[in-house]
Amino acid sequence: MTDPAGAPPASEPAPGAVISARHLTKTYQLGEHAVHALRDVSFDIQRGEFVAIMGPSGSGKSTLMNLIGALDTPTSGELSINGAAVSSLDKDQLADLRNRTIGFVFQQFNLLARTSALNNVKLPLSYSRDPAKQARGDELAAQKLQDVGLGNRMDHVPSQLSGGQQQRVAIARALVNSPSLILADEPTGALDSETSLEIMNLFRRLTESGMTVVLVTHEPDVAAHARRLLRVRDGRIVEDRPTAEGSLRASVSTPRPPSSRCG
Amino acid sequence: MLRSVLTTLGIIIGVASVIVMSAIGSGASKQIEDQISSLGTNQLTIFPGSANVGGRQGGFGSAPPLTEKDLRAVRDGVTGVMAASGNLNGNANVVIGNANWSTQVQGVGSEIEQVREWSVVKGRFFDAREAASGAKVAVLGDTVANELFGAGDPVGATVRINNAPFQVLGVLAKKGQAGGRDQDDVVMVPISTARSRLVGRLGAPDQIGSLLVKVDPRYNITEVQADIERVLRERRRIGADKDNNFIIRNFAEFLETRNQAAQTLGLLLAATAAISLVVGGIGIMNIMLVSVTERTREIGLRMAIGARGGDILGQFLTEAVLLCLVGGLIGLTLGAGVSFMVAKLLSWPMHISPVIVLVAIAASASVGVVFGFVPARRAARLDPIEALRYE
Repeated sequence: MTDPAGAPPASEPAPGAVISARHLTKTYQLGEHAVHALRDVSFDIQRGEFVAIMGPSGSGKSTLMNLIGALDTPTSGELSINGAAVSSLDKDQLADLRNRTIGFVFQQFNLLARTSALNNVKLPLSYSRDPAKQARGDELAAQKLQDVGLGNRMDHVPSQLSGGQQQRVAIARALVNSPSLILADEPTGALDSETSLEIMNLFRRLTESGMTVVLVTHEPDVAAHARRLLRVRDGRIVEDRPTAEGSLRASVSTPRPPSSRCG
Repeated sequence: MLRSVLTTLGIIIGVASVIVMSAIGSGASKQIEDQISSLGTNQLTIFPGSANVGGRQGGFGSAPPLTEKDLRAVRDGVTGVMAASGNLNGNANVVIGNANWSTQVQGVGSEIEQVREWSVVKGRFFDAREAASGAKVAVLGDTVANELFGAGDPVGATVRINNAPFQVLGVLAKKGQAGGRDQDDVVMVPISTARSRLVGRLGAPDQIGSLLVKVDPRYNITEVQADIERVLRERRRIGADKDNNFIIRNFAEFLETRNQAAQTLGLLLAATAAISLVVGGIGIMNIMLVSVTERTREIGLRMAIGARGGDILGQFLTEAVLLCLVGGLIGLTLGAGVSFMVAKLLSWPMHISPVIVLVAIAASASVGVVFGFVPARRAARLDPIEALRYE
């Protein structure tokens, strides 16, 4: 395997990075055995990046995603999300961090059945500690639904929407609280290839307007839409490079957000 | 939906039974209380008991009758007796013009007004002189006055009781039902008149059927009762080793005992209802546990997008409480309906107290909190990663 490209300095977390990981390890105790899911992983993700994390099952990919998503804390090492050190947070603080900072998109959409698209999108705001945002819930949710092109489907329940439309509702839900990061776990796994393309294009448009998107997938075709690829194997990052897409963009030097980096 | 209704059935039945039981129970005790106050408090009734003649125990009332002399001895010889009256009852047909009405005729003394706390609303009661002299005067109960005179004024009219003319002096205040009998269906005449004209064959020329005594509330009724017993034993020459051949009864106390029995029964039924609430609560807990399992992914999602454990706890606790409250309200409606029907069909007195309604609502909400807590805590403690992965 190639050496991790552009490995960050192994000292302090990078200031200004959306995600900054230093020597992350995660060990699970399964009976007598210690399972080393992550071994000394370090990387930075800057604002506006479109990163795909790839790896076979059992590679530690899911563990890494759970850490980035503030669903779990590392066994050792430093992880900061939007400047907040995750290791020092308790459960409630993690929940608040997820609410403010991270928008999740899942393979199975995870929309509430029997609940309208608008109310599904509004859901994260009901857990917001900011009363002003709660008060503007309808307005914000309607805005995000329009942004993903579903302004005319607000009152539809999930069963009345196609798979691609449901995933767009889920993306609007991820965006509604203006997060720093969208974390998408196999977002096209349940969609046909044409619809997958639509969704990936939507993600790309979001990164072009400054949103950071981290995509976890095992499909190379899907990963190819990102601009940077992190490959994980046996708990280590074995590859960190720009994708063909990313290289192409870099070589034609189209105007891009200054914070975007490419390996 | 159907599942929720079935789940709350326990609560519905529990609350409905609490309402029905308490409505019927407190209706009964309210009726008893009304009877107590209509009979008059601090009142003792004395009547002859059974006689023992040569080893043969006679029936009730077979002992020598009470007489006017006994009455005077009790009224004048016992401190704490405010008023006393004899009472001799018979039945008679009362006629005026074309109208006639069969009713109970009570021969009483003039002090009966005080003894029974029962006054006239029209005209006047007969006085002591009239009561002693056998005057042919009568005071009508409300029902009799209505039956014979309708809206007309009976005072001053002459009615025929068992073919003898009686002048109507007054009409008694309405008293209502007691023990299933209309107390207002009565005509009162002087006891001396009753003795000579209405009641045949007496054991003694100055017999009184029973003796009604009003005890001054400033005195202890039990002590006064003991004094009366002593006086009567002396007068009737009952040896120290013999039983009384008369009976002194405190009706209010008797009814009070019945009231307590009714309340005990009510408590017992309330306990049964409480058990059914607990059973209902277990049903709620069961369905909530199933619901938490079924909605594991939803819980994981909510946690992922920022719900704290406390938010999830609150959500499921609220659902459990709402489920129970809806069940409670349905039960309340059902219970009120059934009570109303029972009251209507069996003409049983019914009383739903606002306190019981509040208690029922509070109880069903508490059931929600208590039995919703375990499932809600289980939901709140889920690990979001595991929950999201749950199939």
